[in-house]
Amino acid sequence: MKAKEYVEKVKSREISAVKTTKGILNEIKKINGTYSFFNAISENLALELAERIDKNPKGKLAGLPISIKDDLCVKGVETTCSSNILKGYRPPFNATLVNNLIREGAVIIGKTNQDAFGFGSFNVNTDMGIPKNPVAFCGVSGVSPTYGLVSRYGLIDYANSLDKLGPIAKYVEDLELVLDVIKGYDFKDSTSLKQDIIKEKEVKKVGLIKETLDVDPKIKDIILKKLDEMNVEYEKVLLPKTSKYALPSYYIIAMAEASTNLAKYCGMRYGQEGKVNLPFNESFSEVRTKNFNKEVKRRIILGTFTRMAGYRDAFYLKAMKVRTLVIEEYKDLFKKYDLLVSPTMPIVAPKLSEVNKLKPRDHYMMDVMTVGPNLAGIPHMSVNAGFYDKLPVGIMFTANHLNEKRLFQVGKGL
Amino acid sequence: MTKIGLEIHLQLNTLSKVFCSCSTKQVETPNSNVCEICCGFPGSKPVLNKEAFEKALKIALALDCKINRVTFFSRKGYFYPDLPKNFQITQYESPIGINGKFRGIRIRRVHLEEDPGALVHKGSYCLVDYNRSGIPLVEIVTEPDFKTAKEAREFLRELITDLSYLDVYDKKSDFGLKADLNISTTGAKVEIKNVNGLKDIEDALTYEEERQSREVPKNSETRGWNAERRITVLQRTKESEDDYGYITETDLPVIEVSDKLLKVIKDSIPELSKEKLTRFTSQYKLSDKDAKVLSNNKRLSELFEKVAKQVDPEIAAKWIIRDLVNQLNYHKKTLDQANIKPEYMIDLLKLFEGKNITDNTTKQVMIKLIKEKNFSPKEYIEKNNLIMQSSNSKIEEWCEQAVKDCPQAVEDYKNGNEKSLNFVVGKVMQLSNKTANPDIVRKILVKLIRK
Repeated sequence: MKAKEYVEKVKSREISAVKTTKGILNEIKKINGTYSFFNAISENLALELAERIDKNPKGKLAGLPISIKDDLCVKGVETTCSSNILKGYRPPFNATLVNNLIREGAVIIGKTNQDAFGFGSFNVNTDMGIPKNPVAFCGVSGVSPTYGLVSRYGLIDYANSLDKLGPIAKYVEDLELVLDVIKGYDFKDSTSLKQDIIKEKEVKKVGLIKETLDVDPKIKDIILKKLDEMNVEYEKVLLPKTSKYALPSYYIIAMAEASTNLAKYCGMRYGQEGKVNLPFNESFSEVRTKNFNKEVKRRIILGTFTRMAGYRDAFYLKAMKVRTLVIEEYKDLFKKYDLLVSPTMPIVAPKLSEVNKLKPRDHYMMDVMTVGPNLAGIPHMSVNAGFYDKLPVGIMFTANHLNEKRLFQVGKGL
Repeated sequence: MTKIGLEIHLQLNTLSKVFCSCSTKQVETPNSNVCEICCGFPGSKPVLNKEAFEKALKIALALDCKINRVTFFSRKGYFYPDLPKNFQITQYESPIGINGKFRGIRIRRVHLEEDPGALVHKGSYCLVDYNRSGIPLVEIVTEPDFKTAKEAREFLRELITDLSYLDVYDKKSDFGLKADLNISTTGAKVEIKNVNGLKDIEDALTYEEERQSREVPKNSETRGWNAERRITVLQRTKESEDDYGYITETDLPVIEVSDKLLKVIKDSIPELSKEKLTRFTSQYKLSDKDAKVLSNNKRLSELFEKVAKQVDPEIAAKWIIRDLVNQLNYHKKTLDQANIKPEYMIDLLKLFEGKNITDNTTKQVMIKLIKEKNFSPKEYIEKNNLIMQSSNSKIEEWCEQAVKDCPQAVEDYKNGNEKSLNFVVGKVMQLSNKTANPDIVRKILVKLIRK
């Protein structure tokens, strides 16, 4: 059932939000021990919200169960970013996005597992038990909107200039519905946009990014087959600078920003505490050594290195310049094409045993398709394009700033 | 040759903190004037206070700086318990103003940043109070243009005066102004960190200059100022420059200073102390000394100018610039604390100008004006019959009584001791409740005694 149908049935009192919520909570409790989907189940909050909706079924998302990634603050609900260092932390405020969802009647059921502080692609860098079904390879739909369209207030920062918030759902229609609720200007996030999504949704011409087809031929075939089915005019295009430089630039900027964002976790104000009978430097080091995992430490070290005097010119400042070039390259293509297409990931979901064999660099390579749009702050959407040995393959559409309607238009037709 | 440079940190007098809406009022209870933003809680984001930015811009303009028309904020990374995020939001590549000049001293840069919290040392342990965290600070960095500690202090005093005219800074306590002091004499450059207030800044520099003549520093070093022992103490020698790993603060947008904003802020800059000094000497014919006292004190000059509109400036100058200032010093009060209403001062000095009250009464009433709240001089003078008595018959009565009461003094005067007349005059003043016109008293007394 699509979210809209469900919401209408809640509103006409055909469905009880409390009953659905209870059912979901029971199911999560039953399987979470095995799969570790959730870091926290917000049972009290969920039931309270569901009861409110049953009494007065109102809002665009009336009674709709929504789980929140663990890097978003939910007031009073343990929020850890899947890192031990934040264990026990209950934020004293809601993220703006959470407030927006609640205002439109959504039922917040819990906090989902992730890589600690968002560092990784397979959800194995978590401190909260490895989930067996990482979200990136699930065959569902997800949209990452234009940078600034959705307020980041209450998002625990990874890389401030790159972080974007967007929904994941089974249907593209659901993405559109939820995005409509969470978008909009928020004075608490100074990078939040005052402009809205533009109305134009027609897709006439699509560019297939040639460099991204250098993947497993079976993945390539699935993407091409999907494109043929779509019945739009498409041709191959080149993104040479982005293909070559986006990944290193992305990681330099992301790690530099992340290394400053993670400095605040020192055991003094929230989360895990350190010994107080030590000089502060030793106390901070003890907490950080004990509670940050290996990948987090790696990124702090790399990020700190790239912004040190003597290196910042060669790394951080250069990466910032490359970023401008990447944006220009995309902007040029959007003069001619309404959308760009690529696979979402270079591989299909690997087994845990295979992931464990990958080197850090191989992990970072997994982002090769998504770093370009993320650097440029442009919206992109991944939907299922088919299956390869029973494993889902995602197709990714990328649009110009604020052209989300084009993404949805194409996505709904698939 | 001694070279001194200052890095001055001043708290701006905005209503709210620089990146959140907490008030800037000083609060007694520790950690009670804080929020998720100034405590750096995960997920919170800064929002720039427009008033703070505009006040920093105003300072940069008043110090004759070149304004960076595109400016942004950076993160300065270092771990310290009073710094909630373990980085400070400040400006690095693009300070609001650069290359300025003030009182002949070159200004390298002016930028805006956030104040950290405060460490409270309690015996063997230490507590942190974040009430101060996020108070807007302006950092003013000078070139090493000072040759003496005294020059540096004088510069700071004049700077503070002008900042008060600009309405960007209120001197609440010495902690409102801090400075890092760079001083080199014959050896390497030494930095003295975090000295509070003008007196300590001058003393730390004086001490350091003298110390360096005894022990010439071979390497650059950072020292601290021990305010109790009045000495500088070695903190660490510097092998290399500090590395703060600056990156852009991308939670805050790049700010473009428009022509319009620049004009609005420029136009809002009032007459500053230097111009005031010139105007006071020409407009009110004040002595250089009086004009200087006045131009160096915003509240005093405001009071003076209001009074001088209605009272002879010469009289206003005597009573406000000299007597009032002396009495304030004597009673250990600032003009702010005394909070004297200009109307009351006008009432008082008009009575004096019209020869309705004596010198002595004027002085006594002024002291009451300093000490008492909502004290109306006019009412008090009327109620206590302090209007000056110039009627001869009345004064004659008091004089006759006084001559009777002070036979020895009268005798001494007759024998040529001129000064002893003062004693008799004093007696008359006492009898008249200080209302007798002293000139008339003298004339009558002389006449009476010589009879």
